[in-house]
Amino acid sequence: MKFCVCIKQVPDVTAPIQIRDGELAMDAGRVVLNAYDASAVEEALVLTEQHGGEVEVILIGPDRATETIRKALAMGAAKGTHLVVAEDAELDSASVSKLLADFFQDAGADVILTGKQAQDTDAGLGGAMLAERLGLPYATNAVGLAQEGETLVVTRQGDTGQEIIALPTPCLVTCSNDMNDPRIPSLKGVMGAKRKPIDSRPVVDIPAARVRTLRYEPLPTREPGRVLEGEPHEQAAEVVHLLETEASVL
Amino acid sequence: MSTILSFIAIQNGKPTRSSFEGLSRARHLAAQHGHTLAAVVLAPDASAFTDEIARYGAQTIYTVSDPIFAQHMNAPVVRALEAVIAQVQPALVVFPSSEGVKDVLGALAVRTHAAVLPDVASFDLADGGVEATRPVMASKFYARVRAEGEPVLVSVRSGSYEATESPADATVEALPFSFDESSLKQTLREVVGAATGGIDLADARVVISAGRGVKDEAGQHLVQELADVLGAAIGASRAVVENGMFPATAQIGQTGKVVSPDLYIGVGISGAIQHVAGMVNSRVIVAINTNPDAPIFEVATYGIVGDLYTVLPLLIEELKKAKAVAA
Ligand SMILES: Cc1cc2nc3c(=O)[nH]c(=O)nc-3n(C[C@H](O)[C@H](O)[C@H](O)COP(=O)(O)OP(=O)(O)OC[C@H]3O[C@@H](n4cnc5c(N)ncnc54)[C@H](O)[C@@H]3O)c2cc1C
Ligand SMILES: Nc1ncnc2c1ncn2[C@@H]1O[C@H](COP(=O)(O)O)[C@@H](O)[C@H]1O
Repeated sequence: MKFCVCIKQVPDVTAPIQIRDGELAMDAGRVVLNAYDASAVEEALVLTEQHGGEVEVILIGPDRATETIRKALAMGAAKGTHLVVAEDAELDSASVSKLLADFFQDAGADVILTGKQAQDTDAGLGGAMLAERLGLPYATNAVGLAQEGETLVVTRQGDTGQEIIALPTPCLVTCSNDMNDPRIPSLKGVMGAKRKPIDSRPVVDIPAARVRTLRYEPLPTREPGRVLEGEPHEQAAEVVHLLETEASVL
Repeated sequence: MSTILSFIAIQNGKPTRSSFEGLSRARHLAAQHGHTLAAVVLAPDASAFTDEIARYGAQTIYTVSDPIFAQHMNAPVVRALEAVIAQVQPALVVFPSSEGVKDVLGALAVRTHAAVLPDVASFDLADGGVEATRPVMASKFYARVRAEGEPVLVSVRSGSYEATESPADATVEALPFSFDESSLKQTLREVVGAATGGIDLADARVVISAGRGVKDEAGQHLVQELADVLGAAIGASRAVVENGMFPATAQIGQTGKVVSPDLYIGVGISGAIQHVAGMVNSRVIVAINTNPDAPIFEVATYGIVGDLYTVLPLLIEELKKAKAVAA
């Protein structure tokens, strides 16, 4: 089967990031492959290693995002498509899914995988939007995936339990990072990725975004807390006292 | 005048608290802007919940009853809500941000041509659009966002608003629904590990959250005992979900659930940014950790530097004493 994984380059949230004039200021070099998408790539590789098939990736992003495609190729994907947009292009999940849908109308795939959410915006909309635009059955928040002939069996983490869902292909699945630990590319993989094809296509028409970010704001700061001193039995007694009196939560 | 429609999610046979938080917020906005307040509930017998929903002030309650809603499946939920939205023509639809809602929101937005603001911490109607605040970058920052058009779909993080009652004489309207199951391209084979009984994490007032410091059965037992004394739900970090010590439904954080209880007690949790993303809005945070430099202490109201295996038994004793005095 042909798997195509939608991947996004995101800022590394563990890097120092500041707000300046309502905008995020960070080192443009500190970017990573969205962790949820990395799990999706890993899962596609595992399934094709078991059952045959191929894995491709597609990314929408500025020029510099090519390195994120290379990362997926180094993990083992065979080919990448890069829909190139300007650094400051305004995209929301709706416009991203529209561009991806246009791509898949032509390209086709038996299984489309996305991350359950982008690590930077935590929107979590793109997958289901894309499936709906393509008229595909889908499952979100997958923590497990298996292939039975032409059917995918998804273990989905729901609110109160895990739902085991059988999806006929073609279909779309959004992946949680609780699914697996993505492989670290080997040196051979990294070298090989340099020779793998990346199809770069400039995006001419970016669909207008109906959701805009007006500005970024710091989170409200929490009152500084306090560390309780003393022997363990004193700490235990004091915290219970504080929870009863000062915090009144008991 | 238009309508604000609030979606009531049913879990374990009852409406979730976060659904009523959303409905309460919607009621305030409706009053402020002169809109009508409506609610929608999907269930095998949705009429069973209308009395409770009416207590939160919905003027019209749309019920869609069908056995297919006994288990969560995205396709029938999307179809049913699409039909309700087509009929009601709301300006705004408010959802609690549950896994069930996350599963349908994107598809529903496409089908209803709606702009959508997922997982917001606050929202308002503003000049023909909706403005909201949502945590981004693993809850390091808030993004102030604006959506244009009608309807706008908004899903709200649990604990963002208070659920407050304001009883109204509600009109109940049962909407016809037929879902051709043969058109359902997917099959739900089974639901495993479904929590029965226990206190739902997202709705809990007190949460005990276990991390990698909890190393064995004795540790699990202490966590359970502490939860029992406090009537708390048990949450967990990714580390102990991954190693199989706690169920995946217990995971709190960026990948897991968002909780905002009155009291969160983190036991042997380091406080990685992706975990904190799911609990930083708890009213009071207690952290128990052997490492004084653990980042969890930066957000903790009360910190105890110590070994959980020593501290928890003492804490459980103290709590039992306090409960006995109170009783
Ligand atoms: C994209 C992404 C999403 C993620 N989503 C989530 C998520 O949703 N939820 C989540 O939790 N994590 C998530 N993570 C993982 C997160 O980064 C951390 O790895 C995880 O939270 C660590 O769990 P922990 O605090 O239990 O373990 P550790 O970081 O190993 O911390 C264990 C702590 O226990 C203390 N300890 C040890 N022994 C004792 C003792 N006897 N008594 C008291 N204290 C003790 C140690 O000092 C230490 O601070 C995510 C990561 C990524 C990249
Ligand atoms: N720029 C992008 N290029 C390719 N795929 C993307 C892009 N943005 C989002 N996606 C996919 O959509 C998923 C959900 O994104 P979001 O709705 O933004 O949280 C991500 O995990 C990716 O798989």
